[in-house]
Amino acid sequence: MEFEPKIAPPEAEGHEGNGTYELVIIGGGPAGLTAAIYTGRARISTHVCAGTLPGGQPANTADVDNFPGFPDGVDGTELAQRFQGQAKRFGAEVVPETVTEVDFSERPFTIRCSRNTYRAQAVIVATGASPRRLGIPGEDKFYGRGVSSCATCDGFFYRDKQVVVVGGGDAAIDESLFLTKFAEKVTVIHRRDELRATKIFRERAFANPKIDFVWDSVVEEILGDQTVTGVRVRNVKNGETSMLETDGVFVYIGMVPKSELFSGQLELDDNGYIVSNRRQHTNVPGVFVAGDVQDPHYRQVVTAAGTGAIAAMEAERYLGEYPY
Amino acid sequence: MPLLNEEVKEQVKQQLADLAGRVRLLMFTQEFECQYCAETRQLVEEVGELSEQIAVEVYDFVEDKDRADELGVDKIPAVAVIGEEDYGIRFYGIPSGYEFTSLLEAIQTAAAGEPDLSEETLDALSELSEPVHLQVFVTPTCPYCPQAVVLGHHMAVASSMVRADMVEAQEFPHLATKYQVMGVPRTVINESTHIEGAAPEPMVLDKLREALAAEEE
Repeated sequence: MEFEPKIAPPEAEGHEGNGTYELVIIGGGPAGLTAAIYTGRARISTHVCAGTLPGGQPANTADVDNFPGFPDGVDGTELAQRFQGQAKRFGAEVVPETVTEVDFSERPFTIRCSRNTYRAQAVIVATGASPRRLGIPGEDKFYGRGVSSCATCDGFFYRDKQVVVVGGGDAAIDESLFLTKFAEKVTVIHRRDELRATKIFRERAFANPKIDFVWDSVVEEILGDQTVTGVRVRNVKNGETSMLETDGVFVYIGMVPKSELFSGQLELDDNGYIVSNRRQHTNVPGVFVAGDVQDPHYRQVVTAAGTGAIAAMEAERYLGEYPY
Repeated sequence: MPLLNEEVKEQVKQQLADLAGRVRLLMFTQEFECQYCAETRQLVEEVGELSEQIAVEVYDFVEDKDRADELGVDKIPAVAVIGEEDYGIRFYGIPSGYEFTSLLEAIQTAAAGEPDLSEETLDALSELSEPVHLQVFVTPTCPYCPQAVVLGHHMAVASSMVRADMVEAQEFPHLATKYQVMGVPRTVINESTHIEGAAPEPMVLDKLREALAAEEE
């Protein structure tokens, strides 16, 4: 049981939220909060629309082992909170609200949330990415009641049960290891014959007696009546299908960039990532981008933070040249 | 040993510095305290010390049964957060981890007595003629859950017809089983209807209407 109290910033109040800022940052993960640390420190009036998951993806991660400065690893939530605390210390407003609409066609730019509307001379988009869904029969039906993408949230419900994890990257293996705290058995189903996860995760997973693997296979259907009872698995090499009994399915097959909001306003690539140059500029002057929403390759906390810092410094320079 | 360290205490003090009114935290435990009753009582007492506007009252679930019944408290540990009136804000199980945020929010909401909801939601809630019971199932390690809990509590403040509970699933496994909770947050509306995940306000409103319509049939 977790006793450590976690404090998120208070909800937005209608009256304090509306207004004009030099900079609005859309996204409250490592990229957005790092940007806010820099711009807050540069005395730029900064408002962060932090979305529904304060702290971003690390808040949904058990342990972050590869962020510099934490030799023993750090709880993902704690790291997220430290980012927030640091951003607020330098005067950035960080509010857990979701942006519903933007207008980047003229300055000041308009950023609309469910209750508040903001105007800003510059914007940093750092909306991140969300878990990719399998898109197979049974997935929607059982989402939240047998199918999950949050092991830290839902792992408890699989105490002494059998679960399937779909995927073979870092997230899949990290969360499989976490799930062994609860589940009797964790079966990793991966479409290739080796894991993409880094070596340290592979070693830990192979050494864990509760984890076994189904290679070269994809899940085609999630089965069950009231609850999940199994999955239909197809071997991609020989085409054979088989049934595997399970009580739950955790899906970690990568992420999709959260860029729908900007379609038609910012240039996106074929996979939906926002296109940027090496200085984190988008195709709209004054709108910058950072973190996973523009990064199909690395998607690390430290790279998100890095691009956040670049975007912030570029926004600062832009605001200096074009104050309004 | 205190549950809140000095750093957290300072943050809480700041967050509760300008409470709009007085708040009472009615905590229910029993003589032989259940697994998390002692911790919940301690947590609530520690929070109570951080604002002069907050009063903590500890009750015995068995000896003070009348008080429990009056408040609709049917399991422990329980905390009723009461402002100028009892808006129907309840916590069942320890509000720790991410749910500590929900507790602080509930205190602020009850103190102000003014829900932070859209006009449309407020209009719809003001027309309720049937009681609505929202049970938001959570785990303390779920970063999405407070959003659902806080929304429920705002709805409770908006209408005397609505009561809203946070229910910590790990402490009430029989309820998790009864309501088929396999993922959190899960909001159960009047026993019958449920919402998976931290749904936005309009969607919760739709589900609420759906639940009431289903009951009329």
